This record gives sequence, structure tokens and C-alpha cells, in this order.
Amino acid sequence: MKGVVFTSFIEMVEQKFSLEIADRVITGAQLPSGGSYTSVGTYDYREMLALVGQLSAATGLAEGALVRVFGEYLFRELVAMHPEFLQRNQGVFAFLEKVDSYIHVEVRKLYPDAELPRFESGYVDEATFYMEYRSSRPFADLAEGLIHGAIHYYGESIEVRREALDGEAPTAARFVLCRGRDARG
Amino acid sequence: MDELALLRRQLERERAARKQAEQIAEQKTREIYYINQELRQLNNHLEEMVELRTAELAKAHDEAIQASLIKSQFLANMSHELRTPLNAIIGYSEMLTEDAKTLNDPMFVDDLDKINRAGKQLLTLINDILDLSKIETGRMDVYMEPVDVSMLIQDVLVTVRPLIEQGGNTIELACEPGQLVTDVTKLRQVLINLLGNAAKFTKDGLVKLEARRETRDGTEGYAFRVEDSGIGMTPEQVERLFQPFVQADSSTTRSYGGTGLGLAISRSFCEMLGGGIGVESEHGAGSVFVCWLPQGLLPEQEELRSRMSAGSAPRQPVSILLIDDEHTTLELLRRYLASAGWTTAFAESGAEGLRLARELRPEVICLDILMPSMDGWAVLSAIKNDPELKDIPVVILSMTSDRQLGYSLGAAEIVSKPVGREQLIGIMDKYIALHDNAPVLVVEDDATTSEMMARMLHKEGYAVTRAGNGLEALERIEYQQPQLILLDLMMPKMDGFQFLRELHRREGWRDIPVIVVTAKSVTPEERLRLHGYVHEVMQKGSFDRDRLLTEIRRAHSASASEPAGPSPEEKGMH
Repeated sequence: MKGVVFTSFIEMVEQKFSLEIADRVITGAQLPSGGSYTSVGTYDYREMLALVGQLSAATGLAEGALVRVFGEYLFRELVAMHPEFLQRNQGVFAFLEKVDSYIHVEVRKLYPDAELPRFESGYVDEATFYMEYRSSRPFADLAEGLIHGAIHYYGESIEVRREALDGEAPTAARFVLCRGRDARG
Repeated sequence: MDELALLRRQLERERAARKQAEQIAEQKTREIYYINQELRQLNNHLEEMVELRTAELAKAHDEAIQASLIKSQFLANMSHELRTPLNAIIGYSEMLTEDAKTLNDPMFVDDLDKINRAGKQLLTLINDILDLSKIETGRMDVYMEPVDVSMLIQDVLVTVRPLIEQGGNTIELACEPGQLVTDVTKLRQVLINLLGNAAKFTKDGLVKLEARRETRDGTEGYAFRVEDSGIGMTPEQVERLFQPFVQADSSTTRSYGGTGLGLAISRSFCEMLGGGIGVESEHGAGSVFVCWLPQGLLPEQEELRSRMSAGSAPRQPVSILLIDDEHTTLELLRRYLASAGWTTAFAESGAEGLRLARELRPEVICLDILMPSMDGWAVLSAIKNDPELKDIPVVILSMTSDRQLGYSLGAAEIVSKPVGREQLIGIMDKYIALHDNAPVLVVEDDATTSEMMARMLHKEGYAVTRAGNGLEALERIEYQQPQLILLDLMMPKMDGFQFLRELHRREGWRDIPVIVVTAKSVTPEERLRLHGYVHEVMQKGSFDRDRLLTEIRRAHSASASEPAGPSPEEKGMH
């Protein structure tokens, strides 16, 4: 998993909770990397699972909810780093459609060995868009958080419905986005 | 204290992260360096490869140029080899045609004409290919000389008129008289080509030829405009028109024949002469070709004075008397005949004609019929009723000729106007005394050609001696000095150039006129070597019996005014 995900996660914990909790989470997770992350590095995704587990224990919040919130946070970070990706596209659907064909291509230019999740997307009808997440790692929640980050960024009114794929496994999910209804229904 | 420890731990982690980042950066930099290195090597290798390829290409290019030169040389040699036997075919068929006419055998005349025409067609083709190869290798030479436009147009018209009329076309002519300095052979070829094309692609229509003065970009010149009402061309066809080997399209080749070389050659010629050629055409509505050439620098105009003296110095023996009220016709005929080496006198009325006939006793009289006050019939009767003049053959040249009346009044021949140069000369030749067995030496290694020329000259009344090379020729001259030498250039033992040098070493020999008759393409350098030594260079590429005879007559009559060599004892052939 790319270092930027880890550095953003630590930052979020420091900001939303406290330095103290961040320190506890890192120390408690007993990480092989020692918790020293750089955005240009690559780290074992299991360290992220351990960190999330520690944060959940420290705050009493569900892991899934934490990861989704982190997804939204991560999205804002990525926008700050690469605003051009978003300015190119008119709206959420157009942006999400390009994730595989554009963003992941750009990622591979910098990190040829990055293992990226696969996204399959398309229109159900004019107002309905779907996106299927499949990865070797269990981060469907993170994907959901990122999608919410994008909706927030473009300020559109879109409702997201998550459907389980592969029998509730966290390595896959189908998100159906409906435009025009209140996102929080 | 706890907080401090916490911050310390955080700082430690940050430091470790930084180091890690630095390591990654170093590693990436190294990777970039190595990749760069590889790229540089690849680039160097590519440069080497490019150099190698460039050298290979340069070599191939040189080889191609060399091959092209060799090809051109081969083509030049080949066309020489082709032209020599072809000239024999044309020459012999012409001689046989004459014989068949004498024997009054029209079937043979017809067949022989076909052989002659086919031969000439083939010769034209070979000449075209040779022309093009010369143009491509930059070996085409240009000879500038003053050209009388009206005369040239008349000349061209005589050649193309049958072609144009064959397709049921009418020809319309407009010509602004004048002169320009250009290569007349090339201009003639261009005009014949343009008119020939117009004839080829027009049926039952109109072909117009116009020659007018036209100034282009401040340069005075002549525009020759050939317009037809034929099939015309599409813009795409026009675009490809001047490319060699390309005709309007391949179906054109099938239905109209031709090599597609003519226009490419014409354009090159026009450009060589400082002018250009252009075309406007509409599919189905005919084409207009305009060839423009600059005026060129005219020499001092001696023309007028020499014309005056020709009329006012009737003491010389006169061969031909021209009687015609139309001044321009007279002038044209006079030039044709003068170019063949005959002396002429002319009269612009019937009465004046009769007076001059009595005074000059010409060998032939050319007579126009439609004249004011005393018409041609009256002049003809007067001549035939005068015991002193009645034996002079009278050739009637007229537009409206009542043949029966003419022959019953005693005309030798009736020819309808306009008459071409070659045709006129051919007719006059029949009535003017033979050439008194003037000795002519033919120096030619090709036996067939040599025999053909000898027979041709013998028929014309020359006494012919033959030699197979320069050495033999010198021996023959030692034995009997000829009044004229016809010389080939490429011969074994002693070639034409060497022979000329030897000829010029001898006091009494250097004034013998020499006409070079060769199938070889004479280079400008060779022409320079011949300059001053020879009377005329005739390339057999343009071989023409009448032309050769004219040149011979001209050279002969030029030298006849000088004291001739020992009188000829020997006649005929060896």
C-alpha cells in the first residue's frame, strides 16, 4: 500500500483525535516499519489493518465507519496534491469513470510496481452510475469513503447504495450512485 | 514528561521516515541515472547506425546516378545502332517509291509509303526517347538562330495539315509576322507536337494556330497558341499532363496511341529556350496550349537589302522565275528556294513575268493563276506560244487550279497552294538540270547506308565515290578531288574528326565543303571541334532524303561559284 495512505491516516488521527492517541495507535499496532511512513514509500497493507484495529479499540468506534471517514479525508488530501485530476472532469460520474483509465495510469508512471485495485464502472441510466471495486486487499470501505469524498468535492446531490459482491467479502463491493436525491436519504 | 516522550517518539518516527524517503530518492535517482546511461548508449548506437545507413544511402545514390549515366550512354549508343538501319529502311523505301512512281505502279507506291511512314514513326519514337534521356542528363544543346515566324508557321503547317484534316477538322491560322531568335528545330518540334495532339484529340472540329507578339514580365516575345475543340481534359488530367510517360490516363493511351513523351519534351524545350508552356482545358470542351518564347537578340537586319539585290541583279544565271502578285507568297517561295541553293528571280505581274522570262531564260517558271490584268492562264499561253520560251517547264502554283485547262495549255505540273518547302524543292528538282556529274565523296563505314546515299546521289546526277573510313577517303581525294564530301563520324581506322584534321592540312583540300551525316548524337564539345571544318552537321535522327539533298545542293552551289577541282572523269559507283 502506498505511503501516502499511511501518512494521511496518521495525520487524520492526530487532527481528529490527538497526538497522544496517534502515538498509542502506532505503538500498540507493533508495526514492522515502526510507524515511520513516507509518502514515497510502499508498506504492507496489513499495517493499515493493524492501525485501524488499534484506533477502533482506542476510540470505541467501528472499524468500518473509521475507514469510511478516512476515505473522505484521504480524498481531500489527494485533491490538494493533484488538483488537476479533478479539474479535468465535470462531475462525480465523469471523474469516477476515469479512475482506472487515467488516475491509475498516472500512478503507475510514478510507481510501476504499485498494486492497484480494479474498478469497473458504467451508467445504468442517465442518472444512475455504478462502480465495482475489486482488490486483493479488504478495503471496500476505503473505496466507499473515497467516493463520498468525490461527491462532497463536486457538491452534487447523489445517493450511494452499496451492494455486496462475492458474499460480503471486504475485498469487493458494488456502489450504485443515484443523482438527484438527497445523499443522506 | 509523558508528552515529551511522546513528541520524541514522534520525532524519531519522522526522522526515520525522512531517511527512508532520502534512501528512496537516492535509489530512484540512481535508477534514473542508469536508465539515462542506457538511453545515451542507445542514442549513440542509433547515431552510429544512422551514419552507417547514411553512408549506405549515399553509396546507393552514387551508384544510382552512375547507373543512370550508364543507362543514358547505353540509350545514346542504342539509338545510334537503331537509327542506322532504320535510316536505311526509310531511305530505300523513299528511293523505291520514286522508282515505283516512275514505273506508274500505284500499289507498290502505296505499300512503300506504308513502310516509309512506319519507319518515320519509329524514328520519331526513338528520337523522343533519346531527347528525353538527353534532357534528363542535361545534355540537350540549344542552337539559337534568327527565325522568321511566318515561314516557320508555314513549314509546320505543311507537316501537320494532313494530320489535322484527316480527322475532318478545319484549321484556322493567324500569324503576326516577325522574327525571333531561338532554336528553330526545338520550336518546330514543340509546335508540331501541340498541333499533332490537337489533331489527335479532335474530330470534325476546329484547330486554331495563332502566333502573336506578347510581352511577359517586361520581356518581348512570341506566344504560339494552339486551340482545339476536341475532347479536352479534366483538372486531374491536366495536372499529370507534362510528366513523362504519363498521358491523360491509360485509357487515353489505348484509344489514342502515342508515348506520352511529347509534352514532357515540349515543356523542357520551352524552358530551355527561356520561355514556358501552359494549358487551359475543359473536359469535353477542348484545350488551349500556349507556348511563349522570348524574342532573343536579333542580329543586324540584312534581310531587306539582300532581298532587294536578289531582285535587281538578274545577270547571274537564274534557275527559277516566280510569277505571283502576292508579295508575301513570293517572299516565302523565294526563301524556300534560296534555302535549297537555287537562284531565283520574281515578278509581281504577268507582264513583268513574261519580260523577265525572255530576259533571263530560267530553267523553270512557277506561276500563279489569280492575278490582276493578266492572269496565269494568259501568261502560260504566251509562254507556250513563244518559240524561244515554250520549252521552259511551267509549274502552276495556285489555289484554284483547273487541272484540265492547265495541262491542255501545256503546264508541266499543277500544284495547289499552300505548298511546303520540301514539296516545292522536290518539284523543282525534277525540272532543274541534273548536277552535271559533280563528284561527291561518301565516307561511311556502314555499307548499306553508304550504298543508299550513293544511289540517291547518283540519281540526282552526282558522280559518287565511296570510302569506308578516313584513310580510304584521303586516298580517294588524292586520286580525284570531289566537290563535296559527305562524312560519317564513327568509323574504324580513321574516324571523321581525324579525317577532318588531315583534310585541313592540305592547301587545296581545305575548301572542299563537308557535310557530316551521322546517327551519332553530337555533343557540344564535338560540335565545337567540328566548327569551322564542316559545312553542316546532319544528324540522322532527323534523317530525311529531301533535306539531305537540299543540304548537298546548297553546299554544292556555294562551292560552285569558286573554281572547281579537276573535272570529273569518273562516274557512278564503286
